[in-house]
Amino acid sequence: MSGQSLLLKIESLEKSYGPVLALKNANFEVLAGEIHALLGANGAGKSTLVKILTGVISGNSGSISLNGKLVNFSSPDDARKNGIAPVFQDPALIPDLSIQRNLALTGTDEKRFMTELSAMGLTVDLNEVAVNIELPLLRMIDLARALSHDPELLILDEITAALPVDLAEKVISIMNSQKNKGKSVIFISHRLAEIEEICDRATVLRDGINVDTFTASHGSEERIVAAMLGDKNKVSNKLSYSKKIDTSNPLFLEAKSISAGKYLKDLSFQIRKGEVLGVAALEGQGQDLLFEILAGESKLETGEIFVNNKKVTLNHPRDAISMGISYVPGDRKSALMPQRSIRENLALTRFRGFSQWGMINTKSEENQVEDAISSLQIDTRAKSQVKRLSGGNQQKVTIGRWVTTGFDLLLCFDPTRGIDVGTKQQIYELIRKFADQGKSVLLFTSELREIQMVCDRAIVIYEGKVQADLSIELCSEENLMNAAHGILVTK
Amino acid sequence: MNAIQLKRQSWNLAIILLALVLGIWRTSQLPQFGAYEARTFVLGILPIALLSMGQAIIIIGGGINLAIGAEAVLINCLSARYMQGTTFTESVVLAIVFILVGMLIGALTGWIIAVSGIADIVVTLATSFLLVGVAMYVMPQPGGGVNQQFADLVSGKVPNFIPPLIWLILPIILIWLPLYRSKLGISMYAIGSSKEAAFLSGVNVKLTKIKLYAIGGLFAGLSGLVLTGITLSSSPFANISNTATLNSVAGAVLGGVALSGGVGGLVGPALAALILFFIPTILLAYGIDPAYSQIITGALTIFVVLFGGLLRKRTAGTK
Repeated sequence: MSGQSLLLKIESLEKSYGPVLALKNANFEVLAGEIHALLGANGAGKSTLVKILTGVISGNSGSISLNGKLVNFSSPDDARKNGIAPVFQDPALIPDLSIQRNLALTGTDEKRFMTELSAMGLTVDLNEVAVNIELPLLRMIDLARALSHDPELLILDEITAALPVDLAEKVISIMNSQKNKGKSVIFISHRLAEIEEICDRATVLRDGINVDTFTASHGSEERIVAAMLGDKNKVSNKLSYSKKIDTSNPLFLEAKSISAGKYLKDLSFQIRKGEVLGVAALEGQGQDLLFEILAGESKLETGEIFVNNKKVTLNHPRDAISMGISYVPGDRKSALMPQRSIRENLALTRFRGFSQWGMINTKSEENQVEDAISSLQIDTRAKSQVKRLSGGNQQKVTIGRWVTTGFDLLLCFDPTRGIDVGTKQQIYELIRKFADQGKSVLLFTSELREIQMVCDRAIVIYEGKVQADLSIELCSEENLMNAAHGILVTK
Repeated sequence: MNAIQLKRQSWNLAIILLALVLGIWRTSQLPQFGAYEARTFVLGILPIALLSMGQAIIIIGGGINLAIGAEAVLINCLSARYMQGTTFTESVVLAIVFILVGMLIGALTGWIIAVSGIADIVVTLATSFLLVGVAMYVMPQPGGGVNQQFADLVSGKVPNFIPPLIWLILPIILIWLPLYRSKLGISMYAIGSSKEAAFLSGVNVKLTKIKLYAIGGLFAGLSGLVLTGITLSSSPFANISNTATLNSVAGAVLGGVALSGGVGGLVGPALAALILFFIPTILLAYGIDPAYSQIITGALTIFVVLFGGLLRKRTAGTK
């Protein structure tokens, strides 16, 4: 790295929220013309560091210097003026304003913005209101807006999460072109493969301290995971939990040529008892609608669904739940009551239906909830309000509420999105445990490698149909990716 | 006008249509329709239309001002007391001073909300009591007066309906249009739509809030002055300010301003005031008890809020 000058230097940064220390003693350096990965488990202090760096909050102590000059940003606007442009997982565009007025708000040049956007091969009607634009495109718009300000330091916080492959590739090529221009990028991602591939160096945070910084290369994955988890949490080396399913197991659910909306056309599949069936697809292939249909939240237009070989109609989530089908949606926040306790959130699904107007049996509720908390290993330090839990623990609560009620088929939509490696493994183990108990799990994931790790079989949806139905041996990332792009899998 | 803009204007078009239908209905009840009747219409809606516009600006910015009626009543009392027996020039100078007082009251309210972080609804509920109290101190009994020339400047000599019409349209042209195009205007929609995203986009959320409440206060001041010009007197009563506040909210909502913030404009609320004026007068002409017109106005407001909510839900679902 010699010859490259130091762009950013963060020294012994500290930040506490009340009694909770989010950053203890964080040191972090970024060189000019470098793509630097910032890694860490949930709650390690990544987002706090980024927030301080972008002027959203200020630190308690420590220093930040940019190009050798001490800085202290008072607002995001201040940081932007100093050449730091962040793009977050949730785009910072005003939902009710048109793109044009969003650009005016940040003083972005329209022509420059359109140039950046068309360089990505994308286009947008500037009069369109942000709320009407799909999330993946909105993130790219946010990115184009950031690029229009010629940032010295671009901060990409989880923006490739749940981004379709083609757009994720565009993000990567933008990072490389920034690098070639001598600009720097801080890249935050949970997709370790991406980091190995594109980053120059990586810094790992754990419990608010930078524990490791190293040159990223192939094989860094183990080092990253070890640094993230620390000694106390040795990860099991077992990378695959999959097993070959016994085809004599009876079918639990069968979907016959279902069609709905713009995307699903004549889609059929089967899932057996005790099977974990993976679903792979690029963004916008109708997978979310498929899950909503099975959960009774959306209606199918044509086609039939059989549960235990009996034809069923799912008009309401109540119907699905009574069939033993439980849904863990992708958006954790929509599934939880953020201001209520873990206990109430876990117990909520037990009080469905109209027959239970009576008093709640708190004793039996407590027992079941305790069971769920311990079997899920939920971190209960912030148990009084679910919104204060980390993303991973929130996700465990959304799954855990179905453990307290019981189910036969669990629909998991991208359950590990934005969750750290350690928690991911706990969720994989949980899913396998369900399967071992004879329950079925339908798992959609935007991280293809997960399919190989947890599923017994996988279907790939392309243009509304099942493009491929692959047994576990065939579920290589390459095969899945090919099928997701509509290419026939031969081997 | 492309499809997107047309869709955004559809609410205004519907409001114009409804106001037109009610307007034709009302005029058909009258033996004749001329300048005199037109003047009655405009004078009937002017104070509440101005108040609705001020409320709309605050609601678009994600707040709500329950003291806006009280602000207008206070300015009404102040002007009726101190403008009595003045010359025209003195009245005009005082009018400008009172408008500035209205802005100052608004700015202070906004400042309290921004600095304390207490919800708009709580702070403004408290300030509404406070302001009515001050109004009663200024004007213990209904009364007061105003320079006649000044009154004519506001409401026009019978049957001249042009001056009040100007006072209705001028604020839209001189305040709303520049505001909509300014950075403050975009910031207003931004903080109303998503405070967090606005902050990340570099908006000074607190300062924007203070400015919006100040503009709301400006409209309340105009409303109070206009009321003095029309009635030639003032009343310091809380029921007047409360009704005015509720009507201003109804006008804003009926005019297409979303209570959740971030959506709407000022032309809609101005026209909605016309609708809120026509309904009771039409029913009264049929000899129907005014209480029923309250029911109909209330039902219409609920219907509009419901309909608007469903409409937004549907458009959000089909994106």
